[in-house]
Amino acid sequence: MKEIIRYGFILMMVAVVAATGLSAVYNVAKPRIDEQKRLQFEAALATALPGSETGIMEPVQRGDTVLYYRCYVDSLKTELLGYAFRTGYYGYSSEVESIVGIDSSGTILGLKILSQAETPGLGTKIQEIRYGEKDPYFLRQFIGQPAATVSLDKDGGKITAITGATISSRAVTRSILQGYEQMQENLQAER
Amino acid sequence: MSLLKEFSKGIYTQNPVFKQALGLCPLLAVSSTVSNGIGMGIAATFVLVCSNSIISLLRKVVPKKIRIPVYIVIIATFVTITDLTMAGFAPDLYARLGIFVPLIVVNCMILGRAEAFSGKNKLLPSIVDGLGMGLGFTLALFIISAIREILGNGTFFGIPLFGASYEPVLVMILPAGAFMTIGFLLGLFNWLENRKQNKKSAV
Repeated sequence: MKEIIRYGFILMMVAVVAATGLSAVYNVAKPRIDEQKRLQFEAALATALPGSETGIMEPVQRGDTVLYYRCYVDSLKTELLGYAFRTGYYGYSSEVESIVGIDSSGTILGLKILSQAETPGLGTKIQEIRYGEKDPYFLRQFIGQPAATVSLDKDGGKITAITGATISSRAVTRSILQGYEQMQENLQAER
Repeated sequence: MSLLKEFSKGIYTQNPVFKQALGLCPLLAVSSTVSNGIGMGIAATFVLVCSNSIISLLRKVVPKKIRIPVYIVIIATFVTITDLTMAGFAPDLYARLGIFVPLIVVNCMILGRAEAFSGKNKLLPSIVDGLGMGLGFTLALFIISAIREILGNGTFFGIPLFGASYEPVLVMILPAGAFMTIGFLLGLFNWLENRKQNKKSAV
């Protein structure tokens, strides 16, 4: 009995020291991680809406949540460049989150995967950049497609799925469909 | 035993993958491309050296009966610290290695070294042992991922090796290919070992 208490106490002390160390590291790293995430998101926004770097990006909010972003060509705010929205769909082993840019007619201008944890070497190819190229070959196919009907070739659409990673590929098309529908609802609610 | 011997044993004679068959789960998961394989190797080596040093320093304080839970707490703490620090201070590195860091927790090679070596040895040999084992693990990852990437994707480090007409052997990238590769390699290393033994006994 005495032994159990002694061992339990030692184990507890180890856990306490480990937890203290972890919380110290967390407190130092957390603001930096948030900052990195913000920078990453801004870069993603620029990829989703090419030309937005020089334009005016306005978040459209309901309460504290950002529904989507509206982007104007310049500070006069007369000419609309397009919208960008965040969306996600569950793929093979993770939520595939992305940010999608569309123009006012619903044509995809660009998209960028924000986070995913699909199978390395297979599902992760949805954002793979081929040697010597600058943008992911899978995502490039989406540019110019209508966001309302985008789908894989296997589902009757025009996007060639990644071989061996149909589910991850489909997560991208489904997330766009879902996000676009949500976006339309939001736009209609405003009118 | 000399430090050099402690270092070099991890590379061949006691290679964690080919001789001890340890750390196979993360190995199978990430060995689909060479850059992934090397990334995982470096991340695992770092955690292994850190956990080996702490466990070696604490070896006289930790009672034998509860050593395993203590080791696991230490390893998990280091993995989380590595994950947080990398995410906050080395975002470029994190973008490439980030997905492998949580996988290190399930790497039994690290617990194996705590149990077999650093729990019984002084600090310096434990660090050297960690470096050697880590290098051996990285080397094994390199060999396996090179085979899988070349056959399964037709590339090496992302650089295409063959013309466009090359049809990749997709199964090599899939989990089945990982099992086949590791199976053949284990067979090869065992065969080499047996041949050496036979030669010895023949003499």
